[in-house]
Amino acid sequence: MPDPFPPPGFAPIPSAIEGIQVYAPAPAESASQPEVVEFKCPQCGGVTAYSAQDGGLTCTYCAYYEPPEKAPVGKGAQEFEFTVETMDRAAHGWGEARKELECQSCGSIASLPLDSLTHTCAFCGSNQVIQRQASQDILRPWFLIPFKVDPAACHKLTREWMGSSWMTPASLKNLARVAEFNGVYLPYWTFDSLTSAAWKAEVGHTRTERYREGGEWKERTVVDWRWESGQVSLNHDDLIVPGTQRLSQVLLDRLKGFDLQALTPYDPKYLAGLQARAYDLPLEKAWEIAREKMRESTRQACISQASTGQVRNFSMNLDFSAESWRYVLLPIYVAAYRYQDKAFQVMVNGQTGVVAGQRPVDWTRVWLSVAALLAPGLLLSLLGLLTLIFGGVGAIIGGFGFFLLVVGVVIAVIILRQAMSMDDL
Amino acid sequence: MTVMSTPTGWGFTTAHASCSACGWSYLLPSDALPGDGSRALRCPHCFAVELSFVPEPQGGLAEKLAYTSPPELVLPFSLSPERLSQAIATFAKGIPFAPPDLNPQALAGRMKRVYLPQWLVDASLRATWRAEVGFNYEVVSHQDRYSDSAGGWRSQEVKETRIRWEPRLGQLQRVFPNLTAPALETHARLRGLVGDFDTSTAQPYQSQMANASFVRLPDRSPQDAWPDVLPGLQAAAAQQCQQACAADHQRDFRWQPEITGRNWTLLLRPLYTTYYLDDQNQPQAVIINGQTAQTSGSRRSSMKRAQRTALIILSIAVVLFAISAILALAGIAVPPLLLLGGVGVLMAVLVALGAVIPLALVWQYNRSQPGASQSLKQFAGSD
Repeated sequence: MPDPFPPPGFAPIPSAIEGIQVYAPAPAESASQPEVVEFKCPQCGGVTAYSAQDGGLTCTYCAYYEPPEKAPVGKGAQEFEFTVETMDRAAHGWGEARKELECQSCGSIASLPLDSLTHTCAFCGSNQVIQRQASQDILRPWFLIPFKVDPAACHKLTREWMGSSWMTPASLKNLARVAEFNGVYLPYWTFDSLTSAAWKAEVGHTRTERYREGGEWKERTVVDWRWESGQVSLNHDDLIVPGTQRLSQVLLDRLKGFDLQALTPYDPKYLAGLQARAYDLPLEKAWEIAREKMRESTRQACISQASTGQVRNFSMNLDFSAESWRYVLLPIYVAAYRYQDKAFQVMVNGQTGVVAGQRPVDWTRVWLSVAALLAPGLLLSLLGLLTLIFGGVGAIIGGFGFFLLVVGVVIAVIILRQAMSMDDL
Repeated sequence: MTVMSTPTGWGFTTAHASCSACGWSYLLPSDALPGDGSRALRCPHCFAVELSFVPEPQGGLAEKLAYTSPPELVLPFSLSPERLSQAIATFAKGIPFAPPDLNPQALAGRMKRVYLPQWLVDASLRATWRAEVGFNYEVVSHQDRYSDSAGGWRSQEVKETRIRWEPRLGQLQRVFPNLTAPALETHARLRGLVGDFDTSTAQPYQSQMANASFVRLPDRSPQDAWPDVLPGLQAAAAQQCQQACAADHQRDFRWQPEITGRNWTLLLRPLYTTYYLDDQNQPQAVIINGQTAQTSGSRRSSMKRAQRTALIILSIAVVLFAISAILALAGIAVPPLLLLGGVGVLMAVLVALGAVIPLALVWQYNRSQPGASQSLKQFAGSD
């Protein structure tokens, strides 16, 4: 029996020559999906939402459960080249009708379900928001990592995180009023590239030579500089760059560690009942950031090829090839908590449960710790000086005190830097 | 050679000829033949046999004259007289001790026009096809340069053209006109000798085109030639399918054709032939592409001329030797003449040795050229 013509999955397209019919693979079905998708329970008509605990759509009224239809594709998720054509193809907008809301207080933008009439900003706790039109140049995200951590677990994780540092106030863990955690899909760009570099540099080789001066032999260190060259090829796989600049890059950096093997094709169902943010860092800008990281790591790889660590007059030519990108949504819980009338931001990695955020620093406790660290050294040093005047053992005591003082200063500086970095967030 | 006249639709009365030496068959205007048999007409292919007109017998020629229909297209002789003369002069130039008959005047005087046949077939077909077609697109890449002395990075944007491959399939129902196929068994060898012809300049046949020419008759039937058409047909179909897809590239073209009609005609391609006589008075054929002037033929040196030259040199050596000997004898009386005689003898020996040079030169040159019989066989296509 002859095969049917055309085979399944092919559709006719215009032909440039009369008498020749041409068929091409039919466009993906997603292109014809409705712009607005309603998530209603088919059993009771109630609202369904994505449940991280169950990994699918659930109805809070009748316990209806709908498993996800799309299986993870992992790092095999489709990547796009840097072409205008691909950019145009990717610019299909959201598959679900949403509003883009801008917080008047912190300026952050959130893409919210159309039926959201009220909104508490997840970043500052403010409820003063105004609505504006969604920008038209938004790219459609093709893949996302679904939430795995339950919102209820975020409170426990956050309490543990609050109490994990002795620099925070002792009452923080108990007195902080943590607002409800909102699941937000944040925009991220992933980039792949192969960097091929050819480098050359003068590399210093240190040796000791003996020479005679004033009738006696002496030694001195001499550096011989020799030209060296080499080639390096590095494969950069899925370098992640946040697609938003409105959030603290330090906190976003601390939330890294997403397992991209869980990447799943985009489906509006994964966004039901959650927030999602569109990118505000365009692809070109994000690619610049990624390229800078790639070329810097390639430069370091070149330098590490040199036979010694002393390098000067370094130069290299770097070619990028096989460049590709993805626009993905990654799951993050965000919440604000108040402590002593001040608002602090906290985020939880929705896939791994890693917590990052702002924590108040108990400076009294920090300074007391610093004083406690420095006091033994100072006292012993003073004691050593005094005893040096009256007896011979003062030198030993003073020396020991000076040693303790130096150690105390080093530890105090580290503590202060940590405390200041916590306070800066 | 046997020559027989036959009336045809060529626009003039034709005669059919078949060479008994090389086996080539021709059609030629009957008025080009010597009617009284007094003038000799050599075969324009091998030049080995002289022709004489033989009246057409009654019947019995139908089978032999199977492919004598007038051609559809003709590639006209397009060489200017100057370019043809230049081609002949270039062929005859630079041959050491060339045969006396190998000169531009003789070659031009014996020049014949021969049309070589090639089958043309119009094929109607239906087919299903599938292929991968490629579309060019540009991507933006970067080349960066770092230098301590330049103070950091410098980035340059570069554009690269890449190919995006996509599957396509379809159906076609078309007529592919004027597909070519060899009509001669010697087609490939002739192509090797005089190169390709530009078929884009083909013109519809008109009677005056072949009025003063020999038309070589096919020795391959359309049935034999059809398998040679198929690759070209597939290539033409593949190209048209690529154009239908508006694609820049194509690969892995597969199809299932169903041929619904075939119409066979002929294309005539122009060839000049001439010859010169070698030492053995044997004709050495020279052929010239009537479009491109690419020339082929055996370029032979004359051993007879070399021998004559060697003999003259040897004679000079003998005379020199005799004079030197006389001087040497006179040296008995006048001692200084003895020295002169010795030098003369030495020179005579050297000159005598020089007589070998023309012989060696011709031997070496002819060795580097295809042999006379080999060349003729190559042209004739016989083993």
